Amino acid sequence: MDNKEAKLIKVFQTVFPDMHPEKISAASQESVPGWDSVAAITLMNVIEEEFETQLDFDKAADLTSFQEILGYLREVQPNVAQL
Amino acid sequence: MKLSEALSVIQRAPVDARPFPVLLACGFSPLHLENYLAAHLQAVLPDRKVRILTGLYDDLAGTLEQFDPANAQAAAIVIEWSDLDPRLGYRKLGGWGERVAANILETVEATLSRLEIAISRIPVSLKVALSLPALPLTPAFHTSGWQASGAEIALRELVAGFARRLIAHPSVLVLNEQRLNERSKPDERYDLRADLHAGFPYTLKHADALGEALAALIVPPQPKKGLITDLDDTLWLGLVGEEGHDGVAWDLASHAQLHGLYQQMLGALADQGVLIAIASKNAPEVAERALARPDLIVAREKIYPVEVHWDAKSGSVERILKTWNIGADSVVFVDDNRMELEEVRAAFPETECILFPKADYAAGLTMLRRLRDLFGKPKLADEDAYRLESIKQNRHLADVTGNGDLAEHFLASAEASIGLEFDPPATDRRVVELVNKTNQFNLNGVRYTDAEWQQSLQNPDCFVAVVTYQDKFGPLGKIAVLRGKRTADRIRIDTWVMSCRAFSRRIEYQCLSQLFQRFGAQEMSFDFISTPKNGPARDFLSALAGEPAAALTREAFTAKCPKLYQKVIQKHGQ
Repeated sequence: MDNKEAKLIKVFQTVFPDMHPEKISAASQESVPGWDSVAAITLMNVIEEEFETQLDFDKAADLTSFQEILGYLREVQPNVAQL
Repeated sequence: MKLSEALSVIQRAPVDARPFPVLLACGFSPLHLENYLAAHLQAVLPDRKVRILTGLYDDLAGTLEQFDPANAQAAAIVIEWSDLDPRLGYRKLGGWGERVAANILETVEATLSRLEIAISRIPVSLKVALSLPALPLTPAFHTSGWQASGAEIALRELVAGFARRLIAHPSVLVLNEQRLNERSKPDERYDLRADLHAGFPYTLKHADALGEALAALIVPPQPKKGLITDLDDTLWLGLVGEEGHDGVAWDLASHAQLHGLYQQMLGALADQGVLIAIASKNAPEVAERALARPDLIVAREKIYPVEVHWDAKSGSVERILKTWNIGADSVVFVDDNRMELEEVRAAFPETECILFPKADYAAGLTMLRRLRDLFGKPKLADEDAYRLESIKQNRHLADVTGNGDLAEHFLASAEASIGLEFDPPATDRRVVELVNKTNQFNLNGVRYTDAEWQQSLQNPDCFVAVVTYQDKFGPLGKIAVLRGKRTADRIRIDTWVMSCRAFSRRIEYQCLSQLFQRFGAQEMSFDFISTPKNGPARDFLSALAGEPAAALTREAFTAKCPKLYQKVIQKHGQ
């Protein structure tokens, strides 16, 4: 697990405090009942804050799982992947 | 506060705590304003579980009209231009420019009227924090950006009039635009992306600042009660012992205006009931000559007591606190000397110690604004004007206490009268204020919101008695509140507070005597809980009944009640 993944897990823990930490890396909109439209926006805003980046909201709407978000972050922030 | 921090604060709220529901009424998606408001309220209410209730999207007036006040402890109402006319926002395309300006003004006026009626109907027991439009107006007007159009000025005039009328409502508190501007720059508030994608118009930074400000209106910090000031290089510029009473200055021509402004601030604070005292190391007769100068801006008679000598200032502060009969956490100490500040801080860690910045004008301005924050009150009450006089009276009483005959004579000749108002109207906010701010003579220290207090009075067996006092020295205003329930020939008191200004007048005895008589009760019990500060209540009840929570029979009370001299006037409020 790289630092980016660890940081994203922490973000998920903040937005979905009831989620078991071990299940976060497999989390998706289908598997997490609380991942509704409000939670999705909150998740995006917390990611922006914590990763100091601005997400493309149109694209971010298609990111519906932890792994997709992690892949997207690695794509848009390749230089800081190992921070 | 970062959004993740706000979420963490909300998550740390105690699960089983008493709920603190607050309505957040706004026309946009509440989203992160909801999080930030909850987080800031939770931070100041660590023993409660804050819950934010929200309303209808895009229908602020409808949310207020459908709101059931019984469900909330307070309401935060956030108005934006787009709530007043959608053409003043970015999510609707109804037209901009001079062609529609007049029609926009008509719509805004009508919407404000509707909002005003809805807000006016909110019961006075519910605190309302109102935020006026804070986002920049859209570029919908015919002038260039640096020229105000007539329509923009008319819009602001309509909103100002709306706020001016609502501020007369006893429970409406309007957010100060100036303070919000300092915490959140106007041009960094609007987030077009979030508005168009999520219906949430604010940047996170602005949502944080607005949430914090609304929380401060709903749960304001307790205002400080007294200020103790140094003299040399603080109340005035210069050392009076060296330069003489005519040599010290507080005027513009002497480059001492900061000291004059400080005196002006003390005068204003004294007028609103703040106690002002002096703690100075000086020869008393020299200092008194300077204090007697007719150009002194803070009135000399508003300053009491004056401790001028060469002993430690912590000793002066201790005596002043005793005279005022308030705790060290309720006062502010101002001095230009860091060593003096440290000496006082070491003796009274709860006291806020402020350095008077002699030559630093920016710091001076910050200090004046800090004083406003520390002493600011949401609304002024008549009792605020009586505070100093009642303390001076107490001093007379203290002088004769210990000499039984003199004390008895003092009480007998005081021409005292007590007013007992039963079940006062809900508009009397002084009742809950007194319950919440009284520490020493307080049965159990339980605090209430206005809404909680009013809800608790629904029981037909419940009664509230508000006590006012005056004697030949002047009125003390409302000084005590009792709340209880009567069943058969018993009374159970669950709330009893009495201002420390009213001690030593046997008012507490008269209160119990009147309750026994009015309800024909034979026994009274008290929901006493010990707190770090309610020693006076504990001692009084223990002396009467053996222990503070013990039942008190009428017979035992009558046997121990001293002679009461006050004339009593009963009144029924509702």
